Amino acid sequence: MNRYLKMLFVFIVFVLVLFLLKALAPLVRILIISALLAYILDPVASSMESRGLNRTLSTLVVFLAIMTIMAGFILLLLPVISTETRAIQEGLAAGKAQEFFSGLENVLKSKLQFLGMADINLTERLQSVFGSLGQQFFSYLLNVFSLVTNLVIIPFIIFFLLKDGREINKRIISLVPNRYFEFSLNLQYKMDQQLGNYLRGQFMDALIIGILSILALWIIGVKYFIVIGIFAGLANLIPYIGPIAGAIPAIIVSVMQTGDFSQVLWIAVAFILVQLVDNVLVQPLVVAKTVNLHPLLVLLVVIVGGQFFGILGMLLAVPATGVIKVVAQESYQSYKQYNF
Amino acid sequence: MKSLWENIFRDKNQTEESISAILKKIPIFQELKDKELEAVERILHRRFYKQEEIVFRQGDAGVGMYIIEKGRVKIRLEPAGQIVAHLKEGEFFGELALLDDSPRSATAIAESDCKMLGFFQPDLFGLIDRNPRLGVKIVSMLAKSIGDRLKAANEENQEMRNQLMLLQESEGQPVK
Repeated sequence: MNRYLKMLFVFIVFVLVLFLLKALAPLVRILIISALLAYILDPVASSMESRGLNRTLSTLVVFLAIMTIMAGFILLLLPVISTETRAIQEGLAAGKAQEFFSGLENVLKSKLQFLGMADINLTERLQSVFGSLGQQFFSYLLNVFSLVTNLVIIPFIIFFLLKDGREINKRIISLVPNRYFEFSLNLQYKMDQQLGNYLRGQFMDALIIGILSILALWIIGVKYFIVIGIFAGLANLIPYIGPIAGAIPAIIVSVMQTGDFSQVLWIAVAFILVQLVDNVLVQPLVVAKTVNLHPLLVLLVVIVGGQFFGILGMLLAVPATGVIKVVAQESYQSYKQYNF
Repeated sequence: MKSLWENIFRDKNQTEESISAILKKIPIFQELKDKELEAVERILHRRFYKQEEIVFRQGDAGVGMYIIEKGRVKIRLEPAGQIVAHLKEGEFFGELALLDDSPRSATAIAESDCKMLGFFQPDLFGLIDRNPRLGVKIVSMLAKSIGDRLKAANEENQEMRNQLMLLQESEGQPVK
């Protein structure tokens, strides 16, 4: 009876926690983003500590750096990104793009009638897809929770997580009963190592690929290279599908811009080169090899992520699955080392 | 569940000897300055054990050492159940786990209600990352302490061999 009561209690607590998480979703989202960023930045603060600064000072330096980058982002990049996203959305409805896609639509209609392409409405569909894509991406950046709240609260949470994270961790682990204490400590340490390597690797990879894509598109002369480059960096979080998904907006924009395929070859070469650099130089150096996910699993989780959380879900599905895999793997490995 | 509440609510309003005073009695930390001791203090975990509660089991993966603040601990070899040591306040055990990942070589059990300080490998590694100078100091003292124990064990071993040889000689058996 006692055991069933305990199980019922655990179940009720679990349901309550789920409801609480759902009710506080915006706050939880902010906490998760802050925790992720604090996690990624922790080694920076620690390396300053090893150079003689105390934790508070090192955290302050990291905090000021983040604030400067954010201020720079708001002042310099945000207006550009905003204009570029809007221009991409509007661009589809006008000029050469309209002509190009109606031409393409006519060709498809006449040549591929037998495939049921008679009422394909390519232009309309592309406009709606791109419109919603841009809106989703941009509305997430700006409107989910007010911009001010995000930009003020997140750095402060990062500051306190960086400064007091170890103490918070210690307090949490001190609650674990003696019997499971060493197991929990061991598990926490191993997960921390694996997750830290994985998340930092993913972040660095996305950052490098984003910068390389921006540079490549700028050299080729594709319009809106900043926003497309950022998208390519983020899309690179999705293995197999990401690199292609990253190149598609660049190709569409270039076709819209020039009205022909003159830049497409260069864009393809540039993205292949970026992928080559990613596979040969970046990934072996920064991405942890332990989180190997089967291509089929990647495909499935990306679809599921997209179904539930849209574009953001697709981008974060693979890292989230990686995190779950690491946690499950380490829990199982550690569990085997203890006699409960 | 009970231990969860105990861990939340105890440890308050208790007058006790400062942790740094306890650490100064431990060979590994004896040469550290006050500021360095404070850094070590921050990474220690205080744990409480009831009489006969198991601190760790032989064969489990070890994560670090324990310093006895209050109470007594016995070290038991499994499966024979032979008690190989009784430890009291100010003594420490499990320090080998700070350096290697091999399983615990014996079981540690609280002989009375105990208050202990845990010093664990992950925290030591973190400390080495953040403060290499202090980390090296601790690791070299730890190596010295383990070396001393090894020397003592060797001497004990040699002594036993000598006694065995004497015994064999006295019984007229060939000495191997």
